[in-house]
Amino acid sequence: MAINVLIVDDSSVMRAMILKTLRISGLPLGETHQAGNGEEGLDALNRHWIDLVIVDINMPVMNGEAMIDSMRDNYNMKDIPLIVVSTEGSESRIERLLHKGARFIHKPFSPEIVRDTVKDIIDVGVGDERKA
Amino acid sequence: MREKLENILSRVAVMTLEQLAFIFAFPEDEGNEIQQDSAVAVIIAFRGPFSGFLLLTVSKQVLPELTANILGVDEEETTSDQQYDALKETINIICGNLLPDIFGKQVIFNIDSPKIIPPAEAIKEKDEYKAASMVKLSLDNGQCDLFLFVDGQIPEDAIVSSE
Repeated sequence: MAINVLIVDDSSVMRAMILKTLRISGLPLGETHQAGNGEEGLDALNRHWIDLVIVDINMPVMNGEAMIDSMRDNYNMKDIPLIVVSTEGSESRIERLLHKGARFIHKPFSPEIVRDTVKDIIDVGVGDERKA
Repeated sequence: MREKLENILSRVAVMTLEQLAFIFAFPEDEGNEIQQDSAVAVIIAFRGPFSGFLLLTVSKQVLPELTANILGVDEEETTSDQQYDALKETINIICGNLLPDIFGKQVIFNIDSPKIIPPAEAIKEKDEYKAASMVKLSLDNGQCDLFLFVDGQIPEDAIVSSE
């Protein structure tokens, strides 16, 4: 199964780094979409079929937690698997995100952590085939 | 306490540069601060039980390597927009890891978006406020200076890091 991924981060370099990590980890990637903040992320979710959302927390316009809240309130988006990739260090905030069903990866991260977390929440095989 | 803060600042900056961009940095006790005309400055503000900002100045020639290593491309392929973005992400990660290391993981901070600032403004900030801590790091291609500014005094018992 190829997975369609949406990466939401206000840093274009971080989006590119996450995308590169997904590609080299051998995950069966389908379409990949990018957004610079939560509002753009919700817009992308309305326009495309997305299997996995990877989202930052600290972003302008709409932060990642507000985006997650909007997704959980939306019938069509509430069950989409979520991974938060952030520098957030507050245990209570991380706990709150986990309660909302998100997984958490702390920056800086290794490719292995991204691959293992994705494999953990989505039923995907990991092989040598690398799709753009 | 100043020494304690310096150790944390240094450790977090070295770890971030190494894990994010495969750049090895070494703390230096001696040496001058970077010449501002050959440096780029980035600033990030934070608010919480203690508010303040982190200021990072780095030699311009470090930026292509930093960006290329993060993106996994050749240095020549990186654009100046990407280089500034890479620098902003670097200070964002340093700040995000630094605050819980200093003040503990129970404390909540709001961190603003990082901003690239002109070197003259960086000098003004350094002159206007007294840094709670600063470290100079030596890199392969240049130098990196990191300054932590905090409003008011940090009580000794507010620092929780044991390292």
